[in-house]
Amino acid sequence: MANHTSTQAAFENQPTWAGGRSPFNVSYGKLMMWIFLLSDAFTFSTLLVQYGTQRFSNVVTPITTKWPDPASIFNHFPFMHGLHLPLLFVSVMTFILILSSVTMVLAVEAGHRKSKAEVARYMVYTIIGGIAFLSCQAWEWYTFIHEGARLDGNTFGITKQGYDHLNSVGFGDHFEWAEGDRTFGPVPFAALFFIVTGFHGFHVFSGVVINVVVYIMTVRGVFERRGHYEMIEKAGLYWHFVDLVWVFVFTFFYLI
Amino acid sequence: MEFYNKPGDYDAINYIPHTESHGTKELWKTFWLLLGITVLDFVIYFVMPASGWRNFIFIFFGLVKAYYIVGAFMHLKHEKINLALVILVPMVFVLGLISGLLYEGSALEVMKSM
Repeated sequence: MANHTSTQAAFENQPTWAGGRSPFNVSYGKLMMWIFLLSDAFTFSTLLVQYGTQRFSNVVTPITTKWPDPASIFNHFPFMHGLHLPLLFVSVMTFILILSSVTMVLAVEAGHRKSKAEVARYMVYTIIGGIAFLSCQAWEWYTFIHEGARLDGNTFGITKQGYDHLNSVGFGDHFEWAEGDRTFGPVPFAALFFIVTGFHGFHVFSGVVINVVVYIMTVRGVFERRGHYEMIEKAGLYWHFVDLVWVFVFTFFYLI
Repeated sequence: MEFYNKPGDYDAINYIPHTESHGTKELWKTFWLLLGITVLDFVIYFVMPASGWRNFIFIFFGLVKAYYIVGAFMHLKHEKINLALVILVPMVFVLGLISGLLYEGSALEVMKSM
C-alpha cells in the first residue's frame, strides 16, 4: 500500500508515453472495456447501415406505403387488446432502460464511496430493470410474431385503403385491420427488426448476467477486500452502452 | 528522482484506482434530461405530421441523448481528452458511411423501379 502511492507519484513525473503507466489515466480493465465497446459500436453500426440502406431503397410511394409504418404495427399495449396505441409500449420500455441506467450509475457512485450496502441495493434495482426490459421485449416479439411477422416474408405492407383506414383512427381508438388493408411489403423488414432488436436484447441479457455476477461479488465482499469497486464501473460502462444502442434502435425502428 | 521503469514495478494486481465521488446531482440532472427528451419525442410523434424535418428532429434528439449517456453516465466527459478522441473519432467515419449508404439506398430504389 505504502509502495503504491510512491509508485503512482513516480509515474506521474514520467513523460506521458514513456511507458510504465496508462497514458489515458485509466486502468487496463477499463481501457479494454472501452475498446470492446468501440468494436461493439461498429457491430451495431453495420446492422444500422444495412437497415438504413434497405429502408431507403424501399421508400414510400404515393400509392402504397412500401416500408411498413411502425405506427401501424407496434401499436399494442398489454391488457389493452384491440386499441390503437402506437409508440406507447416502446416508450415505457425506454423509460425502464433509462431508469435502470440511473440506478447503475448510482451504484458506481456508491462504489466510489466504498459503500457496500448501497452498491448492492442499486445493483438489485438495475437487475430488476434489465429483467423488466427483457420481459417487455419478449411480449413485443410474441405480439409481432402472432401478427404474422416472419424472417423470410413481410405481410405488413399497407395499401392506400389501409393507410386511410389507419389515419382515420385516433390514439386509443379501437382498431382492426380490414380486408384489403394490407399487402406484401419488402422482405427484409421483419428480419431486420428481429436481428437488430434480438442482438440488442441479447446484449441486455448478457448485461443482466454480468450485473448478477458483479452483485454476488459485491455481497460476498470481494471488492471490499480488493479495496476498490472498479468492477462496478466496468459493468456500468457495458450497461450504459446497451442503453445507448437502444436510443438509436428506438429512433430508427420506432420513431422514424 | 526515482523512476520505476523496470518490468514488475507497476503492480497491476494491487493497483488501486484513484476514485472520488462527484455526488449524484449531475446524474439525476442527466436522468431528467433523458426522460424529458423521450417525452418530447413522444409528443412530437403525435403533434407533427411525418416529414423529413421531423426525422431530423428525432435524429438530433437521439444524438443529444447519446451525448449525455456517454458524457455523464459513462463518464467520458471527465476522462482524458485522448481517450475520448480515440473512441469518438472512428464513430465520425461510421456516421459518414451511414449517410453515404442512405444516399446510395435511394439510388437503388430508382434502379429497381426502372
